[in-house]
Amino acid sequence: MNDIQASEQVWNPLGYKELYRDLFKRHLTRQEHLLSKKRPVGWFFSFHPSELIYVFDVVSAFPEQYSAYCAARGSSVDLIDTSIAKGYSHFLCDYFKTTVGSIVEPEKATKPLMPKPDFIVDSRALCVGHHEMAEVFAKYYGVPRYTVNYPYWTPDSLKNVDELTKEAEWAEELYVEYTTKRLHGLIEFMESVAGEMDEDKFKEVFKKSEKTSRLLVEILNMMMAKPTPGSQREIGDLVFIAFFVLGSDYAYEFCHRAYQLIKDRVKRGEGVSDEKHRLLTFGIMPWHSLSLYEYCEKLGATFPVNLYVNASVHLVDSSKPFESMVRRSMHFTNATYDMLDSVVRAAKKADIDAALLLENTGCRITSMIIRPLADTLREELGVQSLILEAPQCDARAMPLERAKTQIEAFLESLS
Amino acid sequence: MLREPFREFYNIFSRKERLREYRKNGRKIIGTICNNVPEEIIHSLGGVPVRLIGEYENTPLANSKAPSWMCSYARGVLEGGLSGDFDFVDGIVGATTDDTKLHLFSAYRFYVKPSFSYMVQFPYVNDELSFEFFTKELRRFAEKLSSFLSTNFIDERLEKSIDVYNEFRELCEKLEELRRDDAPKITASEWMSLMLASNAMLKEDFNSMVSARLDELKEMDGMKDYRLRIHLSGTDFYHLGLLNLLGECGAVVVSDDLCTSAGYYSGFVEGTDIESLAKRYMGCTACVMTAHPGKLSVEERLNFIWQRIDESGAEAIVILKDRGCEVCGHQCPWIVMESELPVLVLDLDFPLSVEQYRTRIEAFIEAHGGG
Repeated sequence: MNDIQASEQVWNPLGYKELYRDLFKRHLTRQEHLLSKKRPVGWFFSFHPSELIYVFDVVSAFPEQYSAYCAARGSSVDLIDTSIAKGYSHFLCDYFKTTVGSIVEPEKATKPLMPKPDFIVDSRALCVGHHEMAEVFAKYYGVPRYTVNYPYWTPDSLKNVDELTKEAEWAEELYVEYTTKRLHGLIEFMESVAGEMDEDKFKEVFKKSEKTSRLLVEILNMMMAKPTPGSQREIGDLVFIAFFVLGSDYAYEFCHRAYQLIKDRVKRGEGVSDEKHRLLTFGIMPWHSLSLYEYCEKLGATFPVNLYVNASVHLVDSSKPFESMVRRSMHFTNATYDMLDSVVRAAKKADIDAALLLENTGCRITSMIIRPLADTLREELGVQSLILEAPQCDARAMPLERAKTQIEAFLESLS
Repeated sequence: MLREPFREFYNIFSRKERLREYRKNGRKIIGTICNNVPEEIIHSLGGVPVRLIGEYENTPLANSKAPSWMCSYARGVLEGGLSGDFDFVDGIVGATTDDTKLHLFSAYRFYVKPSFSYMVQFPYVNDELSFEFFTKELRRFAEKLSSFLSTNFIDERLEKSIDVYNEFRELCEKLEELRRDDAPKITASEWMSLMLASNAMLKEDFNSMVSARLDELKEMDGMKDYRLRIHLSGTDFYHLGLLNLLGECGAVVVSDDLCTSAGYYSGFVEGTDIESLAKRYMGCTACVMTAHPGKLSVEERLNFIWQRIDESGAEAIVILKDRGCEVCGHQCPWIVMESELPVLVLDLDFPLSVEQYRTRIEAFIEAHGGG
């Protein structure tokens, strides 16, 4: 047993597990209820304005969330192999490959399967990959598809964005206007598949979304407290709320309770463990090996900043719903690397002393920004990074024991 | 393997002497990283549009800054920037056409720091709203670039540039007749040397060179001893070694949909203004991204491929599937599934071990070729 293993400590999570259980239960109940009423099923992707799912009372399915579920339950590897056997490339998004596998060989997939779509909505608020995979899914099912074009932000189109709220000092009007019009078009499309929109409901859902988004931002702000109050095993799942169910009652109720828990924890000055190193982390979480975060935290390496989770949240202004929907796209992974300045500000605020960066094989968006991010952290803050290859659904490229050894060596070097 | 005058064209691409000469004469070199960048705008403002292509067997510098599984095209461009081989490039222009190109643009800006950069925002839907947006986006691009080049955007100059580029497209069509002939006069690698040269010099100079040699090309001996006429499918491919191998094995390439070839020059600008330009670039059906409402871009691309096959009399398809190319990665199975012709898929990993492909190509030609 080496020194680091010997120093394993007590792990003290926030206690969100029960809240998540309740959240998922209510979400599934809603889905079943709407399915029984024969409401249309839509397939969506992260950064989609999830509020519209609740405005139109449609059944939502998210290939990314379903694939993460398959990874956590151990079926994703077989599904990925199925997709490769069908001719899709190995170096594509794990979520895409897992979903294709579940379409082609559903018997291999974790149940319950996603309901078959009646329509698909894609966007490029994060990646062109969403657009590309939506095409493939739409072709498999022969269903209509709608695309929302968001811009890829550059320094001449976006200035001074807050890393958490995504509020910007300035955004190019031409791009905001076009995206807004596409979003209006999305509403028309949703009306064509799910019936006329109820204006009052629209306002009500966005008010709920605003309240929820404020709580999400606060929770992530409080994660930067010293010592780090919560575990990434709990915080990581906030992406489910921010990406997929923002605008629902249960999302708000979850966040309300989660906010209280973390607020009390910070007030008491308690941490998730005996903090020795404060790490920034980025990359889609390896859903097959989430215990890695717990392992790190028990070693005293906590994660006050998870840029992947931070990217999923944005501040909703219910008086400007369309502007808010556009704001969803103003995260550093959808921009030239100039926007890493917002990351540096967050890292300074959180007083981090190292970074754990996950290269998600097949995901160009997260993987190609990893080295510039590591270089920026080193040059601007003198912070060293450990880069691990960690596909989000394929555990074969990331044996847990190997990852642990690399992390231990990295932490030793920090000490 | 290259005969004259193709050797001369290839040297223009590989030596980059013309580009350095243009620069010496005060022209700015604007590198593009996607075939969908509207070069006519750059050209009309006095810049020299150049498709950046890095010709490397290995890309150690790029691999230290980006994942090694990234497509070979992107790694080649990054290697060129990081190594200083692209020191003649004053600015770069990208397009939001795939994720790799988005981040190649960002990485190039971040590490190489060109004096100018612009990302052309492409709509993915070919409708009226998007057309209006894209026209404004092209005007925005023209404004930013004209500011960098200290010149004004003038409609008449754009009209002239459109003429130059349409002449280039017309010449490509004439050349294409030569490779579609029953006895094709241009081999695959010779064809690619023309395409590469067209990306490494001003189009008017390329047009003059080709026009002057067109009769000579028409008189060249055609190939009669081939066994299979093939259509090449893929994206940013430019490896002459593999193209030579196809020829050695008895295949003759009579058409393609590559971003470095037909995907680049196909489609005329029908008009003289920026609206016409927007229409042409949004309608590039070889492009993966943009489709008409209610359509899928993969279907539009398939139609483009079938049409080229009809026109060229191709008897089989060879797909060049770069292991890191997301476009090939998503679309390749659909070409295989929907093709009525035999298809050979070559998974390409770079550096390319050409000999490893020989057996597969030979077997494919043995199975489907005549003679």
